[in-house]
Amino acid sequence: MSSYTPKDSTDYYKHLSLFWTDITPLMTRKPQALTSIGPMRAFTANSKKISTEMVEINEKILEFNKYLTEYYQQLTETWTDAQKKVNLKAPKIPQDAEQIEAFKRVWIDIFDNDFTDLFDSKKFGKNYGKLVSMELELTKHWNNITNVILQSANLPSKEEIDEVYKEVHSLKKRITRLELELKKRGKSNAE
Amino acid sequence: MQSESRVDPRIIEEILKFSKNVIDAPKLVSAPDEINLEVTPHDVVQEIDKTRLLRYRPQTDKQHKTPLLISYALINRFHILDIHPQKSWVRSLLEQGFDVYMLDWGTPTDMDKYLDFDDYVNGYLDSCVEHVKNESSTEQITLQGYCTGATLATAYASLHPENVQNFIATAPVIDGWRDTTVISNLAKHVDVDKMVGTIGNMPPEFMYYCFSVLKPFEQGIEKYVNFFKNIDNPKFVDSFLRVEKWLGDTPPIPGELFRQWIRDIYQKNLLIQNQMRVGDSLVDLKKIDMPIFTQVAVGDHLVSPECSMPLHYAVGSQDKTLRVYPTGHVGMIASSISQKRVLPELGQWLAKRSK
Repeated sequence: MSSYTPKDSTDYYKHLSLFWTDITPLMTRKPQALTSIGPMRAFTANSKKISTEMVEINEKILEFNKYLTEYYQQLTETWTDAQKKVNLKAPKIPQDAEQIEAFKRVWIDIFDNDFTDLFDSKKFGKNYGKLVSMELELTKHWNNITNVILQSANLPSKEEIDEVYKEVHSLKKRITRLELELKKRGKSNAE
Repeated sequence: MQSESRVDPRIIEEILKFSKNVIDAPKLVSAPDEINLEVTPHDVVQEIDKTRLLRYRPQTDKQHKTPLLISYALINRFHILDIHPQKSWVRSLLEQGFDVYMLDWGTPTDMDKYLDFDDYVNGYLDSCVEHVKNESSTEQITLQGYCTGATLATAYASLHPENVQNFIATAPVIDGWRDTTVISNLAKHVDVDKMVGTIGNMPPEFMYYCFSVLKPFEQGIEKYVNFFKNIDNPKFVDSFLRVEKWLGDTPPIPGELFRQWIRDIYQKNLLIQNQMRVGDSLVDLKKIDMPIFTQVAVGDHLVSPECSMPLHYAVGSQDKTLRVYPTGHVGMIASSISQKRVLPELGQWLAKRSK
């Protein structure tokens, strides 16, 4: 007999979810066979896929939050530093319209410069790249879930639709080349 | 005695005026949707897939012999080159006697996600060049590219030099490693394969994010404050809304084209090293041997001058001109400086070479 010892709570819930999604179809396979041609068949058969995706989404969200926190931390630090610079440059509270205008100009210039320096920096670029990458991971899982739903409705999956797009693109390219070739031959024949 | 702190009455007056302007704004100005950006009369002379080739109606009795085809950028739409009668790039060229065509790349859909550099350069752009040649009965044309459209035009001029009599590169994206803009920093750090593999076409929202980090306070706050302050100045408002409408309308970029763009230009910097492939061919900048006019703006925060200028030094042309203007990316094509300086200089240069 094997005993399962989870590493952390995420692992535990992942295991719990997989355990029930695996065991339920085994326990209910026979009655399920009765609906083998019904609309929910594909959905039931693929329901494990959905729960696996959901568990993985949760894991990715944790990582996504890490980069998102870093993103906002960088923005907050830059904001604080820029505000300090503004305070040093324009220490008094503006009293009249001209002073307000001058203060606004100083504020905008310092903030624009500091934020541009941040957006231009390697540390921002790196974290931004990871944040986008994690967002794409989440999109991937979402696409996988959508595919399960599409298949249960007897519709082609995203990958199948993409294959058609690819085929259409390559056919169009071949036709254009053939048309060009024909045009060239027509021209040389006319000459 | 206690010091008395008084608020300048002009500040209160200004706050009240500003609030009134915000309330009155809908009564005074058109909604962006109600503004027509296609200003100068034109005809659609060719349509392939989603692309359109426009030919502007002549404004002079006599015209230069060589027609001009403009390859607009992939971000936003061509309307900025004809944004306002007084600031129209196209109109100025028409008034200088040029026969002007414009390539509108259209709005790619999911179905177009496999379109790549080859389709754009050797497909759409080439078919437009052929159409212009046939319609104007010339063997060669003048090709102008703006921003990313200039990069496509550069590849075209290198692969099909026999079709290009003159080449005008306006703020071209050429040397990705030298680009000092925020855009290039973001582009260098994204996993473009994962991006294209997961979402296909590059959605406009991603572009808007990239724009939002460029001068965020000037563009995100100050600009709109000025708009409401000047709400009763019809000239200012009209110009502002036209540019805003243009800025807010960018089509998606086909996935494969975007992948090649980011990877080959910003990440591997292949174009300037003559190592970039378009279709089966290698883009060799030395093969660009026709007269070339490169226009660069000192204050360009989208394509830095360091990114554009290497084209001038890399081409094989003997007849080459580089002009650096004291303006920005959009200012170079749609402002009073473009009307007073950029376009007259271009017109003079081109007139001599369009016989």
